[in-house]
Amino acid sequence: MNLEMFETLVLPTKNKLFRFAFRLLGNSEEAQDVVQDVFIKLWNGRDQLGEVQNMEAWCMRITKNLSLDRIRSRQRRSTESINDGFDIRHEGLTPHERTEIHENMQQINQMIAALPEKQRQVIHLRDIEGYSYNEICEILELDMNQVKVNLFRARSAVREKLVKMNAYGL
Amino acid sequence: MDSKQLEQLLEKYWNCETSLEEEKQLREYFRGSVPENLKDTADLFRYFEAQQSYSVEGTDFDAVVRKKIKQQQPQGKSVSMVFNFARIAAGLLVVITATYFVRQEVRKAYPPEIVDTYSDPKLALEETKKALMIISKGFNKAQREAGKIKVFNEAEEKLQKQGKKEETI
Repeated sequence: MNLEMFETLVLPTKNKLFRFAFRLLGNSEEAQDVVQDVFIKLWNGRDQLGEVQNMEAWCMRITKNLSLDRIRSRQRRSTESINDGFDIRHEGLTPHERTEIHENMQQINQMIAALPEKQRQVIHLRDIEGYSYNEICEILELDMNQVKVNLFRARSAVREKLVKMNAYGL
Repeated sequence: MDSKQLEQLLEKYWNCETSLEEEKQLREYFRGSVPENLKDTADLFRYFEAQQSYSVEGTDFDAVVRKKIKQQQPQGKSVSMVFNFARIAAGLLVVITATYFVRQEVRKAYPPEIVDTYSDPKLALEETKKALMIISKGFNKAQREAGKIKVFNEAEEKLQKQGKKEETI
């Protein structure tokens, strides 16, 4: 891989990698550091990249591994919640609805942050990044069955909490 | 999309049976105003969509990455070059050492054949003289024998002279 390929294939994945690292680490500075580390690692190992079919999935996989390494090394999960990224498209919504939505967003964010690690990874990759099941298998190094089970559990947990949120007006 | 279709699609979604395309349709639907009973579900899909725009902060991220990569490049190359030189040097060293030892072994196994047979120079002189005398004797003998050939030569000359005389007559 040369610099040109790096610029066109690898560098544009930065935001996806960042979001994924952020989902796992819960800290934007650390997530950015991880993305930089991923790129440097890829660049240093560029001679061995000939067999990689899906460069983006490969980048995501390294991001996952480096993020998990960081989590292990610090031995605790950050409690910082996701406060950014609520740039909602509001077509025909009243200001009151917008405020309400913003509050709900934060609650949904916490719901997803509270999910077990695998479920959090799968729901992020499918529902936010829109990866196919095959790509998710490749990124997470899981088989199809595990991916589907984790996604099902994640969606069910979120659905249940949404119903509760609505019922109690939390 | 009517409410029945939507309900079916949502049910499929919760059961993880929707395709990527169908999930995209759901996100698109929930962008607009939705019935009261679907508000909480709409929030979830809006959350998913909003998250997609969350990106790396700061515009100099690419520049930082490029800089770091450039810093990595020369280091990696020089290391590999040093390794290559070391490999070649090691190979040469092995060959040279092996050649040296093999030569030593060969020298030990086959000592040079030309050696002095006499340690006393006087005795050596005597022996040389004796050898030369034998050769000289041989030469003398050969010369004497060769002298006899002269007779044939003389006879041949006489015959030729005789032949010429007859031609002129």
